[in-house]
Amino acid sequence: MERLIENKKLVAISPPGPLQAEEHRRAVLLHIGLPILLLFVGTLGGIRFSAIDGSIMFLAPPLICLVFAAALMILILRSGLVRLDGWISEKFSLTQNIIDGITLAALFFASVQVFNSLLPEQGVPFWIVSFCFFWTLWTNLFADLDTKKLLRSLASVFCLAFVVKYLLLANLTKPANEGWISSVINNPGQTAFTWLLDLPQFSAGTGYLQFFTLALFVIALYFLPPSIEE
Amino acid sequence: MKSKHFQIIGIFLSSLFGVFIIFLYATAPRSLEDLSLKASATVTKAINTGQVVTGTYQVDEKKFQQGLNYFRANDFSSARVLFDEADPEKRDGKTQFYIAYSFYRQGWGRFSSDDELFKRGLEPAKRAQTLLGGEFTSDDTDLKLKTPAALLNELEEGLRVTSDDFNPLGALDERK
Repeated sequence: MERLIENKKLVAISPPGPLQAEEHRRAVLLHIGLPILLLFVGTLGGIRFSAIDGSIMFLAPPLICLVFAAALMILILRSGLVRLDGWISEKFSLTQNIIDGITLAALFFASVQVFNSLLPEQGVPFWIVSFCFFWTLWTNLFADLDTKKLLRSLASVFCLAFVVKYLLLANLTKPANEGWISSVINNPGQTAFTWLLDLPQFSAGTGYLQFFTLALFVIALYFLPPSIEE
Repeated sequence: MKSKHFQIIGIFLSSLFGVFIIFLYATAPRSLEDLSLKASATVTKAINTGQVVTGTYQVDEKKFQQGLNYFRANDFSSARVLFDEADPEKRDGKTQFYIAYSFYRQGWGRFSSDDELFKRGLEPAKRAQTLLGGEFTSDDTDLKLKTPAALLNELEEGLRVTSDDFNPLGALDERK
């Protein structure tokens, strides 16, 4: 391929080689794919479907989710999963620093929404699961962590929280379309748990969507390099 | 393409997505149909706000005239709907004056006035007074209360319980 350039010399421009193509793929992943993926996780994390009419509900995260996400960000930095000076530095260009800042902000936002997704919305379960998250994050803050240990710890605590909320507690909730009298007669156990634990009623689709959200968050963490140059 | 181009695309797309997320959580649409309705309402509001900021905001004259026709035909509810559509940002004093007047006329009664409608008329009347100032006098011969201050006074008087309210001659008063 030949092209005329400013100094009126004809030069041959070769098509992108394998090394250049790899750089392009990496740039697409880091500068477009990752922030969009993390923002997508953030969007989905607050969505629930009503059990009554299947309508969409957008739940803003409680304040404690921001605290947990801040602790998680500290853990991510401490374990070396992300090196701050590898993402934001004066030696990088302005646009590089802006997009890296956006990606890290999106990581924080996604973390907030993942906690929002995994924490029960109200009642006793909210406090119990919150305490479990708090305990795990608190002990990890003082532990000697590396990337693998952090990811293992996060995966286990997220899986446990997901099972508790979307399998255990969801099965203890009485069907939303039943009246109180019929639900007491037909499902006395579920009715009692719903009343005692103050369980919200969401449709089964919520669990599927939040499983997908959690999976996307783990995928995003997997693709997150410690430094943008590596 | 250089790495910088990907970075700029990433910044643009992320910002766009960020705005979309804020819109989603601020409006909380209940379904996909609701999403399109709220999106169009938000776009309209953004355009109106932009017009207010740039000083190019104008009332929809056609809707205002339609509202005025309903007002003169004593269909005040329909008139208010059209006045609201003509001035969605509530920035036009004249339209607000007519909205307040429609509450007065609808709420006026020979023996007693509708307090609820009079109360609802107070806010647009105050807004009209602020927007038009003290020098405004309506040139509409159909209206007997020519200024926002007179209208506001009439509404406030209607809400107040005084000894005049028990005067049987009050039944001879005319709607203004």
